[in-house]
Amino acid sequence: MYAFAKRNVLMAARNVFFVFELAFWPTVGVLSIGLMTRFLDLGPEMTAFLLVGTMALSTVQVCQLDVSYALLFDVWSKSVKHQFLAPVEIRHMALGSWLVGIGRGLTVFGLQALLSWWAFDFDFFEPGVLALGAFLLGCFLTSAVVGLLVCALVLLFGTRAEVSAWATVNLVMVFCGIYYPVSILPEPVSTLAGAFPLTYVLDAFRSHYGFAPEFSHPLLMGFILSALYIGLAHWALAAAVTRCRRTGLLLKLSE
Amino acid sequence: MLAVEVRDLAKTFRSGWFPRRLTRALRGGNLSIPRGVIFGLLGPNGAGKTTLLSILATLLLPDAGEAKVLGHDVVREARAIRPRLNMASGNSSFIWSLRAPEILAFYGRLYGLHGKALARKVDELVALCELEEHRKVPYQELSTGLKQRLALAKSLVNDPELLFLDEPTLGLDPDISVRMRAQIAGLRRERGTTILLTTHYMREAEELCDEIAFIKNGEIPARGTADALKRQIRIGDVIALRLDPASGDGLAELPGVLRCVFQDGRVECTVDSAEKRLAQILSWLHEQGVVVRDVDVHEPDLEEVFVELAK
Ligand SMILES: Nc1ncnc2c1ncn2[C@@H]1O[C@H](COP(=O)(O)OP(=O)(O)OP(=O)(O)O)[C@@H](O)[C@H]1O
Ligand SMILES: [Mg+2]
Repeated sequence: MYAFAKRNVLMAARNVFFVFELAFWPTVGVLSIGLMTRFLDLGPEMTAFLLVGTMALSTVQVCQLDVSYALLFDVWSKSVKHQFLAPVEIRHMALGSWLVGIGRGLTVFGLQALLSWWAFDFDFFEPGVLALGAFLLGCFLTSAVVGLLVCALVLLFGTRAEVSAWATVNLVMVFCGIYYPVSILPEPVSTLAGAFPLTYVLDAFRSHYGFAPEFSHPLLMGFILSALYIGLAHWALAAAVTRCRRTGLLLKLSE
Repeated sequence: MLAVEVRDLAKTFRSGWFPRRLTRALRGGNLSIPRGVIFGLLGPNGAGKTTLLSILATLLLPDAGEAKVLGHDVVREARAIRPRLNMASGNSSFIWSLRAPEILAFYGRLYGLHGKALARKVDELVALCELEEHRKVPYQELSTGLKQRLALAKSLVNDPELLFLDEPTLGLDPDISVRMRAQIAGLRRERGTTILLTTHYMREAEELCDEIAFIKNGEIPARGTADALKRQIRIGDVIALRLDPASGDGLAELPGVLRCVFQDGRVECTVDSAEKRLAQILSWLHEQGVVVRDVDVHEPDLEEVFVELAK
């Protein structure tokens, strides 16, 4: 587990592109959304609503990428087989890289929180440490689910599926109500939105900024769903690994 | 106990949706390899060597048959054998931007090493594979020879009891190949590692391996020591004679002579064993009053056996 964590850190330190992931895109995201709220002359509540969404999205994305990278690094360098030759389980791989993802996610979040406090007078600590902690944990759990699913997709469909590492967050954006409350989604999409744990986590955090919660016990729901999906995603990944061993894709990804 | 035991192992690859292509990579091979030997798998391209190795290394699940490695079934007890084996292949590749010690440390950790033990192991392997001067070089900037040696080093991180080497000298220059081979031989000598290696190079197999198996179209038609294989194929030894007068009529009828051809004024007799037949042929020629100007005895090398078997 520590091995995967260490490797993700090393890779992050070695790659200039990661600076973009960690600093550039999140900054651009917060600034553009923040400026949009100014242009539209939105009140502080609306600003809070949108900024919370933006920051959740960036945090989920960065943390999720780390989990995906645990496999993608190997796919890109064609060294997948060495990892599956070793006596490690996918949970070690996922957990190790997820921990680094949390670290990077917190960095991104901190940066964005500072920016939005400085530029748009938005106070992230207003709901209290506990609520903030729950919100972040919710984001990271969603990242774990997405990351595991990306890994599973890559193992099922090969390198063609690696775009999913960047595409799946867009799905999250649409369904979890990053920029709008899910209640404005038409049926049956809004029901579907209820299946995403991040929807609840956002709902819970936004209720601290004066938005009436759309769900009862949103945090509880969010965590229960996250746990369920992490279980399912882990199972899916394990099944994908077995399938890979059967079809020989594991070898193809290594040559 | 046997290091490897394979019974009726079969594997068919399916690829493409339409048309669906089936490749029968292994069709019921049988093989057993004792512990402590260097065993060679020889065969033409696409024979199924990599497939067999991958199944034994638990990277690939077989369709049918049974394979046991170090006494454990490769499908049901994969977890039990993974810590005890390792694999390196000629086309191995690692994360480009990491340096050799970092790569070794990563894989060391995957095998449960940490702290001082890990650092010691990494240093030992870096020294063994002569990578000291290249400690700070990212993987992508290493030469092919160094990459290959790093692959070998990586396969030793867990001191495996059984080591699979898939074309370990692929693409290496002769000098480095020789050193690589010496290193492989040293592994068995010093650590008692059982080694199963595949190669296209007959010289390599002849030099390194205690025993060799031929694999072709997913079947294993022949196995044995290099000498035994040559005998089994019966391509025989060749005795070339320059005679005066230049006629070898009657030679072909002698016992043990398989065939005789005349070429550039020389008679080339293929015999079952040059050792046994040479004296016999010479004395017969002497009786016939033929003068022998020149004799040349040629034993077939594994290369010829390979060509013969691959036909
Ligand atoms: N992952 C895969 N998917 C589909 N077919 C495969 C796969 N791996 C190997 N094959 C096919 O199986 C057959 C045996 O391949 P294998 O790689 O075992 O041969 P090999 O003896 O190692 O050959 P080489 O000397 O070229 O390395 C080949 O026809 C190959 O095309
Ligand atoms: Mg091969």
